[in-house]
This record gives sequence, C-alpha cells and structure tokens, in this order.
Amino acid sequence: MPSASSALRTRKPTAPARFSTLLRQLKDAVPEAVAWLLDEEAAARAQWSASELTGLLQDLFTAAEGCLSDAGTSRVLDLVRRYSDVLPGRATADLLATLPLDVTDAGVRDVVRRVLERQPHHAGLLRVACEGAIRSGDGAAAHDLLTRLARADDDLATVRHVHRVRATVPAAGGPTARIALLSSFTVDFLVPYVDLECRALGLTPQIYVTPFNSWTQEVLAEASELRRFDPEIAFLAVSIDDLVPALAGAPPAADLEQAGDAAVERVLSVARAFTTWSGAVLVVHGFHSAYADPLGVLGGRSPSGRGRWLAELNARLSDGLRDLPRTFLLDVQDVLVRRAGGGPHDNPKMRHYASLRLGDRVLGEMARCYARYIAPLKGLTRKCVVVDLDNTLWGGVVGEDGPQGIQLGDTAPGVEYQDFQRYLAALSARGILLAVNSKNNPDDALEIIRSHEGMVLREDAFSAVRVNWRPKPENMVSIAEELNIGLDALVFLDDSPEERALMRESLPQVLTPELPTDPALYRQTVEALPQLQTLVVTETDRTRVEQYRARRQREQARDGAASLEEFLHSLEITVEIARADDSTLPRVHQLFQRTNQFNLTTRRHELDQLAAWARDPGWRLYTVRSRDRFGDHGLVAVGLVRLDRGAWVIDSFVMSCRVISYGVETALLATVCEAAAAAGAGAVIGEFVETRKNLPARDFYARHGFTADGGADGVTRWTRSLADGAVRRPPWVALVVADGA
Amino acid sequence: MAPEAVVGKVFGLRQGDVHDGTSNRTVAAWDSLGHVTLVLELEAAYGVALSTSDALEMTDVAAIKRVLQKRGVEWAR
Repeated sequence: MPSASSALRTRKPTAPARFSTLLRQLKDAVPEAVAWLLDEEAAARAQWSASELTGLLQDLFTAAEGCLSDAGTSRVLDLVRRYSDVLPGRATADLLATLPLDVTDAGVRDVVRRVLERQPHHAGLLRVACEGAIRSGDGAAAHDLLTRLARADDDLATVRHVHRVRATVPAAGGPTARIALLSSFTVDFLVPYVDLECRALGLTPQIYVTPFNSWTQEVLAEASELRRFDPEIAFLAVSIDDLVPALAGAPPAADLEQAGDAAVERVLSVARAFTTWSGAVLVVHGFHSAYADPLGVLGGRSPSGRGRWLAELNARLSDGLRDLPRTFLLDVQDVLVRRAGGGPHDNPKMRHYASLRLGDRVLGEMARCYARYIAPLKGLTRKCVVVDLDNTLWGGVVGEDGPQGIQLGDTAPGVEYQDFQRYLAALSARGILLAVNSKNNPDDALEIIRSHEGMVLREDAFSAVRVNWRPKPENMVSIAEELNIGLDALVFLDDSPEERALMRESLPQVLTPELPTDPALYRQTVEALPQLQTLVVTETDRTRVEQYRARRQREQARDGAASLEEFLHSLEITVEIARADDSTLPRVHQLFQRTNQFNLTTRRHELDQLAAWARDPGWRLYTVRSRDRFGDHGLVAVGLVRLDRGAWVIDSFVMSCRVISYGVETALLATVCEAAAAAGAGAVIGEFVETRKNLPARDFYARHGFTADGGADGVTRWTRSLADGAVRRPPWVALVVADGA
Repeated sequence: MAPEAVVGKVFGLRQGDVHDGTSNRTVAAWDSLGHVTLVLELEAAYGVALSTSDALEMTDVAAIKRVLQKRGVEWAR
C-alpha cells in the first residue's frame, strides 16, 4: 500500500502513542511501514522516553511476529546497530529474538552480541546467539552459550532443548564422567539437567539410564548394559510409592511395618550387589512419598504415623548403606525442603501420566545435588577459600565506619555475617583452607580479626593473609605461592562485582562465584558450590589448618638459619615408609586424585585398583609419613612400583607439595632403590609424563642420578643402574622403614 | 505468547516455521517425552491446568489451539 505510506510521510512527526495505531493500519504493508517508522524514529529519537521507545519496539515486535520482510528486518537491525546503547535493552532483545535473522551473517551476530551484553540473561536472544555460534562452527562459544541459556531459563522445555542442541555440537573437551541413573520411575527428564550441571563443571558427561523399572535386573544380571557401561558414579532413585503401592491408601500398621522392612532390604540388597562388581560411587535416594498421611493431623499422635514410619526406614537405610564402600545416602526430603524456587515437588498428573515421581520443578535442584557428588569424584574440589573482608566477612567498611561501626554480632544486621563465618569455619574443619585477600589498612582489619567480639574466624583460622592496597589478582598469586597450591585450587569470595570481574578476567583458573547482593544469602551460595564438597575426609584433612601453621613456623626458622643444610638438620625430620594397607588406602587414593604438581605420571588410579596392587606380590605401594619438630605432616607421599624381572619400574610417584625440598622424596627413592637391590634387581626405572602442572617434578629423576633412555607415547623412561649403588639417603632425615618395605 | 511460540520453544523451531499442521508426526523431537514437556510448558505459559485427556488430544498445533480455547485461554493474534 504505497499510497498509505506516502500519505503518512507527508505528515508532521507523529506522537509516539500514535505509532501503534498507524502500524496496525499498515499491517499489509509492513516493510514499508517499518522503513518509514524507523526514519521517523531516527529523527525524533532524542525526544522519546524509554517507555515510548519500548512501546515502539513492542509494535515492531508484533509486526515481526506476523511477517517482517527481509528489507524490514535489515532496517530494524540497522536501527539496533546504530542506537543499541540508548534503546531499551529488554524490548530490543525481545524484538531481535523474534526476527527471522540470518545468523550466518557476521554483522547480525555482532548486533546480537552487543545487545546480549546488556541483556545477558535474555533466553530468547541466547537461543539466537547459540544458533549463530553453531552455524558459524564456533563450538566452544556454542557450549558456553548453551549453558548460559539453560541457566537463564531452567524450565524443562529449555533445558531439554539445550541438551538436544548440544548433541549436535562437537564435544567441548574436558574430562568425561560416566554416570548411571537407576530408577523405579521415569528419570529421563533428569538427564538434561544432570548434563547441564556437568557441563557447568567443565566435564563431558556420558549418561546411561537403565530401562524403565529394571534397576534390580540391571544390577544383578551378569551381562547387563549397566555393567558394560561401567559407570564411575551411579544414582539409585527408588520410590517408596513404587515399592509399597498400598501407601496410596491406609494399610493396617502391621502390613505397613512389614512392607517397610521388605523395601529397605530390597534397596540394600541391590546396593550391596552393586558394590561387589562396581568400583563406582553409589548414591542412593532416601525415601519420600508423594502421598500425605491419610490419617491427616492424627498422624502426629499415632505410633504408625507416616512421617515417623518414613524417618525410621530412612534411618535403617542409612545404617545399612554405611557398611558398604563408596556408598552415600541422599536425603531427598532434605533436598525438597531446601530447594530454591517454587512449584510443587509432586505433579499428580505427571505422576500418573508419565510415571514422574519427582515433579519437573524439582529436577534442577536434584541435578545440582548430584553435581555435589560428581565434582569431588572428578577431583574438582578446591583446596582454599579466599575471602574479602569489608561487606563479605562483616557489614560495612572498617576504614570508614570504625571497629564499632561495622555490622557483626548475634543480632541483625550482623548475624548474617556470623552465620556465614560459622559455615566457613565448618569448611575449615573438613580440611578446606581459608585465606584473606582484602584492600584495607592492615591495622584496621587485623584489629577486627583479633579483637572484635563478633568475629568467629580469628587470625589462626587463616592460612594466608593479604591485607594491602595491591590489586587482588596479584595477592591471589602470592597466596597460591605461599600455600604451594595451584590457582585452580582457589575460590574467591568478594561482595564487589568489579573485584569479581577483575579476578575472572585476570585469573580465570580461580573459581569466582557470583555472590548475591543480600549478605543473608552468602552462606547458601557457598553451601551450594559443588567444588567445596568432599567424599572422604581423612585425618590429614582434619589437621590441615594446623599443618599450614606449622609450615609458617618452619619458614621463620629457615629465615633464621645460617645455611639450608643447617636449617634442614634443625627441623629434626622423621620419615616413615611402609606398605599401603586398608587404613591408609583412602588417603593414598586422595593423593592420587588431588596431586598435580609433584606428580610424576599423573595417573589417576582408582581406589579398587590401588587396593588390588597393595595386595599383589608383583607390585609395591609405598606410603610415606613425615613429621618434624613443628608438627606432623601426616601421609604425604606415595610410590607405586612394579617389580619387573631385572628392574623395578616406578609407575607413579606422588607427593604433597607442602613437603617439597625437605628430602622426603629422596628418602622414598632411596628406600625403593635399596629394596630393589636387596631383591636382586639390576636397575630402577622411573617413568615421567609431563603435564602443564608438574614442573616441580620435572628434574626429579635427573637430580637423583637417573638417565633418560627413551620412552614412548609421552612417557619418558629414566634408568638408574644399581651397580652404581642406591640413591643416598638425605643425612638430615631420620628414616624409619617398616618391615616388608 | 502464541501457541506457535510455545511449540517453537519446546522443540527448538522458529515461530515462523510452526503452523496449524505442525504435529507429532512432522517434528522429530515431538516424542512422548517431548509431549510431556509441551504440556508442562503450555500450562506454565497460560497458567492453565490441562487434564490427561486434553494432553492426549493435543497432537498438532490446531488441536492445541482448540483445547486452549476450550479452557478459556486467549492469546494475541
């Protein structure tokens, strides 16, 4: 309808409110209407308010939903490109998400990217950006955008879409994780959520779901798909409503009792069978029922009340599972109580129609819960939490508000910071180090830490303290160096979005989670981090904070010593070498999983395999404990040796970094050489595999008189003939070698 | 939000590619799990509770519109 549009063109600039009417009148000539409208807009833009511009864009949006020609689309793009900084972000994003954009065009992708910077959580636009990244072959960007999309809109439709699309993108790299889901009900909907959480951890998951309700057969049968799949971790989700269908009604107490016994025994027997053939971690769902107690409020006075009955079943399940290796009870009722976000945990229609026992609004939370087992299993547990002070450990700024002005105590405001500190103290009790990285005058900050009555964490709670005016990333590097751990072992918690952004930008290896603006939510945020979960707490973990304190004292002693040799003698180091046994295997396994720097081959041997080698006469699995006058280091090193005919081969040699340079590694190597010579072997061969992180171990064999003589597939072989004698024991170490080692 | 947009969101289609004839026979991702997802998404998008019979009836976009109208749902056309 050219006439209509030319008629309009002769009019004076029109009030914005009129545009929608005009646009509707011009519905049949949309491209021209849009062209005209945009010219007008360009002229009048400066006088329009944000709400008027939003209205305009919404009209365009409506037009676009109908049909916007290529010409119209390119005019809209042109508008957005020119005025992306002043156009209302949300409405612009809505519009772009609806237009039939050609995402293969670099210019189009650039416009999308710019609007996305202002609207980073816009699901519609993220979909467009994903499509652009995929079509242009940028797999890494596609994976990142897909994760962001599912985070922006975590409903089932979007998360399934993300999962489906991801399957078409080349693998993102990252370690794989083989995960099995065994269930008495439909858990297929959990798969995209579990996949998402793994991707967010940088893992590439392979997920196997047992066929509907065949959880028992798959575990018991000799030749099941589950066994072939050989999971690293399995989740067993059995609903009590499936095991005891009578729960829908009100069965007599005696029947209920009996059915409960049978249900617990059935789950325990399957879990037991699983652990006999699989070395995987097994996570078993505790029982919860979709049915409320049919007794109603009377249930609270009845010995056969449903709540009590379930609590007792879960307690027995917990007792039974504790006897099995690598097996954990997942308290589903607790997950349901704590989960963020609304919506019922049970959707009766879907329970009947699709056998869903976990409603769709629970799936995301359940998968996040799964991630708390998967992350530590895959060695992603961080070793140290580094915190800011002002507005992170207490409210307010000490330099401005003074020691009495800050918020910290047992009443609000201030109690939320105490709650948060108590949780950090609990983390420390299970072996996670704490450190401070704050921009402050040291005297101000230390006064609070030392003497404010509201502080939970005192100076000795922190293994490293940086209070100064230097850039925080610089402090972070120095903390990592002091603690002798990698940057990828650190978490950084800071209330300031700018500091967080700077840390992510400068040191992406450091995990810098978003903190909510409300300090009352800090604790939950940190509680939810899968990277702070541990599956095993060893004695070494429990005393780690103590060990780092001793280490600081040692370093002070070194600064006072005349020579290194004198210092080493003054430490009075004792090293005890023994063969691994059941009591030390968990710590041995942990060292294999966690150690990156002093690790000669970085072979992540599994617990079962290590246990087998510990018993195998063809192998020796050495453990090394060390202590000195400042404290006990605990079990700090492990050597795995294959006793080949003629020569002993060191398959793995792993040592905690905190004892580097004290001669502990030399003591173990000397012991291995002596034992090999005593057994009649002619040589000791050490294998070495270079990684990005094991620089401290690189010259280990060369330093001890080994000669590199070939190798293959990235493995260097270092040989030392025993005709030259054994490696010399370090003279400052009192070495105690147990019988048989 | 038009039903076409909801169907597009669930199955990863552009809204312009969804029409009355779009059905569980023409869209590969529209399998039984996809159908459950679609029903949940329609309920969330329009704040309406659909019965199992409604769910079984909605095998194409025209049928979805029919059921939604029956349940008193309106959307911008």
